[in-house]
Amino acid sequence: MKKPRRSMLFIPGSNAAMLSTAFVYRPDSIMFDLEDAVSLRAKDSARMLVYHALQLPMYREMETVVRINPLDTPFGHKDLEAAVRGGAEIIRLPKTDCAEDVLRLEREVEGIEKECGRKAGSTRLMAAIESASGVVNALSIATSTPRMDSIALAGFDYVVDMQTQRGDGMELFYARCAVLHAARAAKIDAFDVVFSDVNDDEGFLKEVNLIKRLGFNGKSLINPRQIELLHQAYMPSEEEVAKAKRIVEAALEAERAGHGVVSLNGKMVDAPVVLSARRILDLARSSRASAY
Amino acid sequence: MSNEPIFETMIPRRNARGAEVRSLLAASGLEIEKDIQIFVVACDAGRIVACAGLAGEVVKCVTIAEPYRGSALACRLMCEVQMLAMKRRHSHLFLYTKPGNAVLFEGCGFHMLAEVKGHACLMENTPVGIRDYCDKLQPFRQTAQRIGSVVINANPFTLGHLHLVREARRACDWLHVFVVSENASAIAYAERLDMVRAGLAGMDRVTVHRGSRYLISKATFPGYFIKDSCVVEACSTAMDLLIFRKYIAPALGITHRFVGSEPFCRLTAKYNEDMLDWLETAAEEGAPIQVVEYPRFEVDGRAVSASEVRRLLARGDFAAMDSLVPVATLSQLRASYPRVRPAVDCRATELIGVM
Amino acid sequence: MCGTLESNDLLVKVEPRNELEVVISSVVMRQFGVRIRQVVDETLQRMEVTHGLFVIEDKGALDCTIQARVQTAVMRASECEELDWSVL
Repeated sequence: MKKPRRSMLFIPGSNAAMLSTAFVYRPDSIMFDLEDAVSLRAKDSARMLVYHALQLPMYREMETVVRINPLDTPFGHKDLEAAVRGGAEIIRLPKTDCAEDVLRLEREVEGIEKECGRKAGSTRLMAAIESASGVVNALSIATSTPRMDSIALAGFDYVVDMQTQRGDGMELFYARCAVLHAARAAKIDAFDVVFSDVNDDEGFLKEVNLIKRLGFNGKSLINPRQIELLHQAYMPSEEEVAKAKRIVEAALEAERAGHGVVSLNGKMVDAPVVLSARRILDLARSSRASAY
Repeated sequence: MSNEPIFETMIPRRNARGAEVRSLLAASGLEIEKDIQIFVVACDAGRIVACAGLAGEVVKCVTIAEPYRGSALACRLMCEVQMLAMKRRHSHLFLYTKPGNAVLFEGCGFHMLAEVKGHACLMENTPVGIRDYCDKLQPFRQTAQRIGSVVINANPFTLGHLHLVREARRACDWLHVFVVSENASAIAYAERLDMVRAGLAGMDRVTVHRGSRYLISKATFPGYFIKDSCVVEACSTAMDLLIFRKYIAPALGITHRFVGSEPFCRLTAKYNEDMLDWLETAAEEGAPIQVVEYPRFEVDGRAVSASEVRRLLARGDFAAMDSLVPVATLSQLRASYPRVRPAVDCRATELIGVM
Repeated sequence: MCGTLESNDLLVKVEPRNELEVVISSVVMRQFGVRIRQVVDETLQRMEVTHGLFVIEDKGALDCTIQARVQTAVMRASECEELDWSVL
């Protein structure tokens, strides 16, 4: 059963209090940020805080992501050392514009894994798309390396690059679609942008429902309150679950009976429909499993 | 992405928003003190909601607007102040605040030094500041009954100072002489210290001590160092004296403090009066110290005054100085100030009940 | 200087000294004073720090936070850019 990846909670790496306690919110994955959420003068201490936090037992049990600074900054490489050595599962590379950005990151990661004795290939990569170039190159980025875990869209920088502003979502339409398609073609996961108005639950849910329909695996969150809302929205409805159950049962029946074709209520059910039903049941099961 | 206040630094008199700082302080009954060089302010949605002023090593004029009180902002504010001070090469900071706020600042990494009840307390940003200083004094402790002390600025060291030290020494078993180390006088501290050492060379039962931040400094007695300030506030002298009584005297076993009478300066005269109160009669921490005042040393019927010597120095009149200062002081002044120095500070006040 | 005075964090101040001294002030001094000192001492030992005055103002930080802040303070004080990961 695939682990759900609906919620990715952003934690500023410089905030010791949050690092000490964020695991209690039980997001599907936790992202320690060394980049935009950390001021220049705190970059070094955030790095050490995250390095140590990654090794705490409670975080070992969760999926951990570290957003490093771009490699062409004085901080990027050191961040990477801390993240890989600290045991982060995934490195999130900001401002990924092309496949070469990923390959460069991969080379550095390989080097560090070797040096510190971490299993080669165990550190996976997440590309954050934050510009028009990134969107346009999404497919080559998504397929650049077997280490590619997922691709994420970062809204704020992207709309600035596109010379527009965040609004009702139309401004992200193409980017979302492009990123999704790239992810699906490359058979990796896709994550949507942060919703920054923490007081606007309605707006948040609207966006969540949209991206869920589009097919995003999950979304980046900046406030623990959003986790519960997101999980509820992603939970398949009872109806959906019931229907999915019937489909899957019918498929099992057909298999047992040796029929080549699955049918339900007299109608033929295609393989993709069965796959989709299985996914819904998976999601339902894992949602319940990860509920409080 | 959060809506937390952001911190900036500003110099109010050069900044259009200085008026905001002024009114924020006024709401707490405070005024921008003259010696503050820079402020750290916290801005929320464009409004200044908290501020802290930095005057060298001293933090004062700290205030937080009502709705923001609660330790989180205070902690951040004090961290920012310390970081700013570090950039300006001051890692050891002092803080003046109303007694009611001491607890708040204790939660911000400041530690209590002394309190003038009902008025103010002085705190410092290390748990071991005064402790380390007193530890350094300990080796100089003498075992005897009457241990005296004299604190002088020696700006410059005159026959008046010498006379005071001689008289004081006669009246006790051992005398500790402290030289004010704050470098805010016409003559630099290093030179003043040299003059004192030279002037007292060969005298036994005397220890000359380097001054410190804890004794007549911009931290303990800021009023003294504010130019043209003859403002004699209720607690301006008290803090310095309380610290002397609570920490410095016990470290050395001091039982007496000797001063020369002050005929010229109101501030210094008040300091002497207050000394009697705070060191001897008031019920405060630390054993009472006996304060003994000697009349000023006179030459040709006139009290010897360091400010007079400075006036002569400004004119380059070494001949006239001859009768007022010891030989060592005269040679040092000749060597250091060979030419007339019109800019020599002719400040009328000279401290510590001496000259 | 490194850290903050917020809850679950600590402030570490370093000053040059001829010997090594650690002074700790904590909101949970009674319960955890000893533990905090242990963590600080171990961290300094592993980094082979032999002198300096370390003043710690703790607001209930976890061990990992203490380690991180002390390490960063040492690196800042020694102006060391390159990190030897084996000592951490």
